[in-house]
Amino acid sequence: MWHIITMVFPYAIAYTIPMLVTALGGLYSERSGVTNLGLEGLMLVGYFASAITIKFTESVSYAAALPLGLLAAVIAGALFSLLHAFASINLKADQVISGTAINMLASALTVYLARTIAGSGNVRIMMGIVRKNIPVLSKIPVLGPLFFSQSYWSTWVCLLIWALSWILLYKTSFGLRLRACGEHPSAVASAGISVHAMRYFGVIMSGALAGLGGGVILITYSGEFNGSVAGLGFLSIAALIFGQWKPLGILGATFFFGIATTIANVSQVIPQLGVVPPVLFKVFPYVVTLLALVAFSKKSAAPKASGEPF
Amino acid sequence: MKKLIVALCVLLLIGSFAFAQGAGETTKAKALRVGMVTDAGTIDDKSFNQGTWEGIKRAGAEFGLDVKYLKPAGTTEADYLKEMGNLYDAGYKFIVCPGYKFETAVYEAQDKWPDAKFVILDGEPHTADYATYRIEKNVVALYWAEQESGFLAGVAASLQMKEAEFGFVGGMEIPAVQKFNWGWQQGIKYANENYGTKIVLKQENDLYQGSFDNVAAGQQLAASMYDKGVKVIFAAAGGVGVGVINEAKSRASAGQDVWVVGVDVDQYAEGLLPSGKSIILTSAMKYLDRASYDMIIDEMNGTFPGGQILRLNATNNGIGIPVDNPNLSADVQAEVAKIYEKIKSGEIKVADTQIAGLYK
Repeated sequence: MWHIITMVFPYAIAYTIPMLVTALGGLYSERSGVTNLGLEGLMLVGYFASAITIKFTESVSYAAALPLGLLAAVIAGALFSLLHAFASINLKADQVISGTAINMLASALTVYLARTIAGSGNVRIMMGIVRKNIPVLSKIPVLGPLFFSQSYWSTWVCLLIWALSWILLYKTSFGLRLRACGEHPSAVASAGISVHAMRYFGVIMSGALAGLGGGVILITYSGEFNGSVAGLGFLSIAALIFGQWKPLGILGATFFFGIATTIANVSQVIPQLGVVPPVLFKVFPYVVTLLALVAFSKKSAAPKASGEPF
Repeated sequence: MKKLIVALCVLLLIGSFAFAQGAGETTKAKALRVGMVTDAGTIDDKSFNQGTWEGIKRAGAEFGLDVKYLKPAGTTEADYLKEMGNLYDAGYKFIVCPGYKFETAVYEAQDKWPDAKFVILDGEPHTADYATYRIEKNVVALYWAEQESGFLAGVAASLQMKEAEFGFVGGMEIPAVQKFNWGWQQGIKYANENYGTKIVLKQENDLYQGSFDNVAAGQQLAASMYDKGVKVIFAAAGGVGVGVINEAKSRASAGQDVWVVGVDVDQYAEGLLPSGKSIILTSAMKYLDRASYDMIIDEMNGTFPGGQILRLNATNNGIGIPVDNPNLSADVQAEVAKIYEKIKSGEIKVADTQIAGLYK
């Protein structure tokens, strides 16, 4: 059993990380008071931007192409999220509809651009990140094989962003103001702080991080832009709710999804798991989420003003 | 008032122009217009849609034909019929339908538009409940002998690796994919029995992922198989195969000896590493472009084999492995060429069902 866990764990982490950063993006947005259902679309924009950037730069410098691709993903995601920010903050539009529009626009636009720029709706990059065992740390018993072997450098970048976000949101006055915008925006306004600016920051962060999530998908496990992130953006929203809009909560929720999905995916190749029908593994995370939502709905900690224009 | 008159004049002008166009077209209606409705996935799926479309485009460029493809909104019979109707109404009366999912739609269409011609790939027209199979004079159904293609790839990979563990990742468990798998297994067996290779294919490493688009699952399955010591994975799985190839690339650039056998088209270029090498050992091909191209030629020559179910196999060069296989040695390629001839002559028979001793 232990052997199976150590074998599956690195791949589960790889699958989890894009969801984690995207859910973190959603956390910024919702904490600032703007519901963002467009995470799926924003991920897709980042996915596309990184693919196209890497495709055109990898022939010049293979080493520089991947970080550059991630940077492009962040910028593209941030720019695209401005649409949502403008509609929901300045125009006071219905945020659910605006988010849905982002998803529809992104899926059509990225495929169209991929065709016109790269000549095909599928953009393949030469190479993603090569996994490495981290020296010294991977030799630690128990923890080493779980966390520090077969790891992508992008994983550590994303975890660092997660940690810094936690500090920013919970240990600084800026973070307090941002969170207050999601709870009681008029109180923030009466203290002389611009709610609009704070909310813009929240939405742009959500775009940037969801874009990063899309870029990470490309350079870790997919290697090809194919016009879909397979519902990971929506799963991130589910993880955000399951994780009660808290950094540690979403870390746990996304890892739970990631590990459960990975075990479902690989259960066929592992004879010990083969006795359980794969469909049970596949529905497991969703059933648990539904049960958890029912159980926690009484004391749900959603930001009070999330979704309400100011 | 003046504006209204101007507007009316413009309308009249456009109207007469449109009619003139229409009249012109009916007089030179002889030029064939070839349409295609795409199956699930995009036109550039590096598989069925793309291969078929490339054949149509090639014929279109060579003979100055008008070609067009439409992408349906979904993959139901109604979606397909709607786009077929759109093509028909626009004058595209030679319609190519790539994939078994079109079977029921073509069944309807063959009666609905008797003056149009239909080509269906990987399937034949039947009713939704599989009770009635009927093919009219305006339809040609094409099947490939995937098992022969998988067999050749299995032999080639076995001869090249000599002693190794192999795996198979399929997409959905449908006949076209199953036949690849059964051929692959028979090919490995043939090489073990006749050439003394020691290739092992364990049951747990022979599986169907269950979809054609789950890239993440493809990567994770491949990673688990490679972790367990598998050296070569035959991926007949569309987007799932993309994940398999990506995982193999990642491992190969870290110095591991892992390979993938491609499917449908020559996937060599997709496995290229920055070093210039490719992790695609060889590919089990179906010549999709040749099929749609040949059908168009037949139609223009007036020899459209309507009402027939054609099977493309080794005897008519409908399947095979690529002409160039940089990762196979010359000896191996020479042996595989001999085996191809043996399949052609009927000396080797590859079963297209799950005969005793094969995994699902």
